[in-house]
Amino acid sequence: MTEFLLDLSEQLDHILSGLPALVPELVLAAAFVASIFSGLFLDRGWRHATFTFTVAGIALAGICSGLQLASPSTDNLLFGMVLPDVFGQYIRMLIAVVCLLFATFVHFNPDFTSHHKKTADLYSILLAVNIGLNLMAMATNWLMAFVAIELVSIGSYIMVGYLAKEARQTEAAMKYALFGAVCSAVMLYGLSLVYGLTGNLDFTSAQHIQGLSAAPPVVTGIALLLVFTGIGFKLSFVPFHFWSPDVYQGAPTPVTAFLSTAPKIAGIALLTRIFYAWPENSAPTQSLYLMLLVSAIATMLLGNLAALRQNNVKRMMAYSSIGHTGFLMMAVLAYSPNEHAVLLFYLSVYALMNMGTFILADYIESRTGATEVTDYKGLGKILPVAFVCFVILLVSLTGLPPTAGFIGKLLVFSAVFSKWQASADIGLLVLLITGALTTVISLFYYFKVPLNAFLRKEETPIEAQPLYPNLLWLAALITAAVLLLGIFPYWLVDLF
Amino acid sequence: MITLTHFLIVSACLFSTGLYAVLARRNAILVLVGIELMINAAILNLVAFGRYDKALYGGQVFALFAIVLAAAGVAVALAIILNVYKYYKTVDPEDIRNLKD
Repeated sequence: MTEFLLDLSEQLDHILSGLPALVPELVLAAAFVASIFSGLFLDRGWRHATFTFTVAGIALAGICSGLQLASPSTDNLLFGMVLPDVFGQYIRMLIAVVCLLFATFVHFNPDFTSHHKKTADLYSILLAVNIGLNLMAMATNWLMAFVAIELVSIGSYIMVGYLAKEARQTEAAMKYALFGAVCSAVMLYGLSLVYGLTGNLDFTSAQHIQGLSAAPPVVTGIALLLVFTGIGFKLSFVPFHFWSPDVYQGAPTPVTAFLSTAPKIAGIALLTRIFYAWPENSAPTQSLYLMLLVSAIATMLLGNLAALRQNNVKRMMAYSSIGHTGFLMMAVLAYSPNEHAVLLFYLSVYALMNMGTFILADYIESRTGATEVTDYKGLGKILPVAFVCFVILLVSLTGLPPTAGFIGKLLVFSAVFSKWQASADIGLLVLLITGALTTVISLFYYFKVPLNAFLRKEETPIEAQPLYPNLLWLAALITAAVLLLGIFPYWLVDLF
Repeated sequence: MITLTHFLIVSACLFSTGLYAVLARRNAILVLVGIELMINAAILNLVAFGRYDKALYGGQVFALFAIVLAAAGVAVALAIILNVYKYYKTVDPEDIRNLKD
């Protein structure tokens, strides 16, 4: 008994020594509790109470992660659960920025502000999801990774179904929840097999990779394939992308913007962590490498080719973000540990571009009711600022100069190219060619927007509804950032 | 004598049954039941393997977390299905297809 007590106090000391690294999550948890109470009691007197608490909490958490950059941890904390290293800190700050943009987007969105449910609960869910995203970016243990993925997933289901003011929104929520639950069940089964093969859950440990290498390759392959179903669902890479066009189209636009950015950033961070936790020449890494390579090529091709046929703007952007996922996977394959500038730069630029595009799509929809690309005819003259920003963001998404999207793609391409020169692996060459080819394909569907908005004329004149231009300012700010980062990329690259 | 193999066979059967229920998808509630079977198959595996992990009991702890998360997921999914029913008056996934290519 005394031995047990001694052991217990040691364990408590270990937990307490690990907690300072998790200050951002603790801040978010406190903000989560505060947002629930302010939603119940304060919102009646002070309308923006919950919004203020949420923004303050997320910003404070982001600043805390920034402060931790000075003393990054190199060891797994809390019994090997999380590793808050430099990469994790940057991802946490990036997630904080995306969550802030999302909160502001919701705050100015007429659909949400006029809804009878109010937005207080949505902010609480956002804070919980933010904790999940942070943990996902730092997890080094399968249990932590699974809990974080579930935390993000369940929060996202609620976000998609939050308004439920038309049939399509409920349909999107149902498809998302059912597909997501199946994927996480499959992932859990895969994890149980991995646990059986290795006897522990810490995927960075030597015992883990030994166990995986010692098992028959077929069994390891199946187990990893099942595990990657769950991660593939969060990232929506082929063949786990089926949900994303339907959900992106049906969900309220701010939620779509959030789903296409934040979970992907965290998912890519988790994927990078798993992929580079294991030695390069071990059998599981090589089968994983082949899986990711094939999937990245298929994702880029499918996303961009399917986007060509779309007419609905949000659906088109859904396929475009599938294509970008393929590109992000290419960045992961070209990643080398401790040189994360390329991946982080592309992730931040991607998040900015996607957020900006969805904000503009939402702004245009609330002003004119246009949701299809063909509805955009002649709107360039009625909403000139919105469409100029839209076109700049689309140019950036395509990857043309002088925008940040161009620099991002250039950095990824050159990273893959130098890796190919070093290894002469034919797969990387195919990846490069696919990347270049799909960039050209993407030009065709992105440019349908300016083509309709500026060059085609609408016979019946459209009346634009009045709306506060707050969202437009936000989008203009993002566009300016994208342009500035395209001209002065070293402002951001030097930070990483 | 019940060995590890027996547990694994039972859990594989459970998982396959659950997957069939999901793929047959006649009714959204039955899909949820199928998902629950798949999760329980994984939990059985985790606990069975956890017997050999006397140091940390990782499998048993994971099983507890999985049970709680499955319950949370089902609660949210049921609320969403209830909303779907309000609009479509059916819970058959085959009939709920406004969103498609």
